[in-house]
Amino acid sequence: MLKFPKFLGALALAGIAISTSAQASGDVAKGEKLFNRCKACHAVGAGAKNKIGPHLNEVFGRTAGTIDGFKYSSAMKKAGEGNLVWSEETIDEFLAKPRTFVKGTKMSFAGFRKEADRENVIAYLKTFSETGADAKEEAMPATEEKMAAAAPAAAPRPLAKDAELPSHGVFHLGRRATDEEIAAWDIDIRPDGAGLPDGKGTAAAGEPIFTEQCASCHGDFGEGRDRWPVLAGGFDTLQEERPEKTVGSYWPYLSTVYDYVRRAMPFGDARSLSDDEVYAITAYILYLNDIVTDLDFELSKDNFSTIKLPNEANFVDDDRPAETHYTNKTEPCMQNCKADVRITGRARVLDVTPDDDNQGGQIE
Amino acid sequence: MPPKPDRTRTQDAVKSDTEMSAGPSRRQLLSAGLATGVGVAAAGMAPKAVAATADPAITTIQDWNKYLGDGVDARPYGVPSPYEKEAVRRNVAWLTADPKSSVNFTPLHELDGIITPNGLCFERHHGGIAEYDPAEHRLMINGLVETPLVFTMEDIKRFPRENKVYFLECAANSGMEWRGAQLNGCQFTHGMVHCVMYTGVSLRRLLEEAGVRTNGKWVLAEGADASAMTRSIPLEKALDDCLVAYRMNGEALRPEQGYPLRLVVPGWEGNMWVKWLRRLEVGDQPWHQREETSKYTDLLENGKARRFTWVMDVKSVITSPSPQAPITHGRGPLVISGIAWSGNGTIKRVDVSVDGGKNWRTARIDGPSLPKALHRFYLDLDWDGSELLIQSRAIDERGFIQPTKDELRAARGENSIYHNNGIQTWYVKADGTVENVEVS
Ligand code: HEC
Ligand code: HEC
Repeated sequence: MLKFPKFLGALALAGIAISTSAQASGDVAKGEKLFNRCKACHAVGAGAKNKIGPHLNEVFGRTAGTIDGFKYSSAMKKAGEGNLVWSEETIDEFLAKPRTFVKGTKMSFAGFRKEADRENVIAYLKTFSETGADAKEEAMPATEEKMAAAAPAAAPRPLAKDAELPSHGVFHLGRRATDEEIAAWDIDIRPDGAGLPDGKGTAAAGEPIFTEQCASCHGDFGEGRDRWPVLAGGFDTLQEERPEKTVGSYWPYLSTVYDYVRRAMPFGDARSLSDDEVYAITAYILYLNDIVTDLDFELSKDNFSTIKLPNEANFVDDDRPAETHYTNKTEPCMQNCKADVRITGRARVLDVTPDDDNQGGQIE
Repeated sequence: MPPKPDRTRTQDAVKSDTEMSAGPSRRQLLSAGLATGVGVAAAGMAPKAVAATADPAITTIQDWNKYLGDGVDARPYGVPSPYEKEAVRRNVAWLTADPKSSVNFTPLHELDGIITPNGLCFERHHGGIAEYDPAEHRLMINGLVETPLVFTMEDIKRFPRENKVYFLECAANSGMEWRGAQLNGCQFTHGMVHCVMYTGVSLRRLLEEAGVRTNGKWVLAEGADASAMTRSIPLEKALDDCLVAYRMNGEALRPEQGYPLRLVVPGWEGNMWVKWLRRLEVGDQPWHQREETSKYTDLLENGKARRFTWVMDVKSVITSPSPQAPITHGRGPLVISGIAWSGNGTIKRVDVSVDGGKNWRTARIDGPSLPKALHRFYLDLDWDGSELLIQSRAIDERGFIQPTKDELRAARGENSIYHNNGIQTWYVKADGTVENVEVS
């Protein structure tokens, strides 16, 4: 069975292997690049699993809404029951305007306005339906071999009776981590800039990356589509009834943006951005939050720590134990503690209990 | 809903039973219902001990009493009885955009004692469940240490082991209730808590193996999942009682709880208990990661926000009766059952009120009383069938008393999201149904 990281490698190889033999009118190589916009939600290729969207292997000829184990919207299931079968034509129409073509679909993706984009991504997807299968199989063993060759020597190595124990520690367990290994995992960044990699990027360079890889969830302006997180705006709302906490309105440090985007975004395809791309996206998020106003602003390792976020001063230490209900630590009242008891609020009034179709609220 | 049970009605029912001859009597229906397990709610109307006609559950020779059941290997890994379908985790779909960055809730109303079964421990993921071969798992220790180290799972299992029972509570537990009663069920209002016995190695031992430099003050814990979860932990806590655990309730961690390795940070908010733990970095300052700035900081009414609010405050809730666990048996003996816990240590006492906080009586804590673990309390009540407003109030070993929700709101406003440990009120109606309410 293939593990996820191996599959990514396989996918890249498969893409290359197939691009020469494509027959559809679209350009497979261009389609592969365009598929980056689908990747956050869809996987395709050997071992592809359902993610936020169903996997797209053998999608041509598939009745809409029929992948086992994927929770489709009732709209998509109905479309399938109404005989919607995915073909070049239907996928083209769907991708042109997903929410018009399948009203009520939960695919929160705006679609491709350009016909050429749709053709190219369709050509790419076709390589994973029937005809593409051989090429993929060819690519697989090569990948497996590569993975095996690259396997580190970290698997448990039983020590012979007379072997020398490592000198570290009390139990002499484990082995020394190499610099290369530490560099691979230690990517955290602190507010003082410790941990920042070399590199740079402008807000202008960040814009197309954001539009392509982030906007499908976070919105073109970081305003957050559907219930995906909002990244920009919300200034001066922290004391309002419904505060909007964003990078601009709430976050204390810019280092957190760089660190988090690099380690965890785009959601479903983490660690896919280059260091320069993360600088560019971070600069663009500053721009979306009006913290820099010039699209040509360039963020780099050198000027990073000079950028302050507006809400930094508003974070205070935990002083819960000083709250009066805790400091008045007397014996609590046991008898006749209050004169009258009235019901002042009921969940029934504000009923958002699951089972009901209510929407609203948010968890952090 | 069955009407209020009282003596006159019960006697009438008995009388009409004996008088009626045509058609099935109420009692026959009742016992038939009982035998198939569907008539439990209706049974609330009549005291059970009055048995004029024989109970077919006794007088019939049942299939299971006659024919052989499944053999030993029918269920190599045992599963609950099919009659326990209600005891499952549930989520609240509208809370989050996607189930891979979401939460579900422990069915507290279906449980008793202090230990949560592994399959019912609530889940909170930020990038889905990472599933992989433990042979590929590594734990790295780097940063301000003498020797940066890499351990395999086998290495970790060769350190001396410890067994400890701890609760894990998400800081956002009860977070939806800040602005008022919202969700009808303690599973949803309080279900982001569980309590299991962990087996693992003390974090102190692992850090000592690498040798912490004297300028080391903080530890960053990092997960191997698609969110690469990170949290800064002060070294003092790391050297105090933290564990690096690979078992829960005796068996390997469940995938959704961080298999093969997770951090245990007793008494502190659940987000810090990094799952799929792959790295510990020692540093001289905190990192201010996304989960300790954007999230897990507590916004106050004045626009300031508290950060590093780690300890889970003293808290309790009545799990039965509760909205998902109504009273189905009518007046008479009623077991009020609940849980209490505190990140400060053990629970010293739990008081229960049945009149909305006017009068209180001390509940009975039953089962082990362990620091930073759930405590089970009971109040054995003779219910007269009238309406109740039930509440519980816990006091921990350091003397912290669980506050009311209004006290918390007065101190913090309504936008804190996290650390809502206010006293919960359930409104028990005469028909036994229960509703989530707030009282003056
Ligand atoms: C933000 C997440 C997201 C993005 C981005 C996205 N999709 Fe989807 N897609 C979904 C979801 C969710 C569904 C299931 C829709 C439903 O049930 O209504 C879906 C359904 C589909 C289906 C129907 C599959 C079936 O089994 O019926 C196709 C085809 C598809 N997407 C293609 C694409 C392509 C091609 C792209 C990129 C150009 C794309 N999607 C981008 C989330 C996404
Ligand atoms: C498929 C949807 C999706 C895509 C695409 C995506 N994100 Fe996210 N993003 C999320 C989700 C979900 C979270 C919250 C994850 C969690 O629960 O921890 C998030 C969180 C964030 C946050 C933190 C928000 C906060 O308030 O704490 C930032 C910043 C962010 N994303 C930036 C990006 C950037 C930059 C990209 C593009 C490179 C991107 N995201 C692409 C879904 C997405």
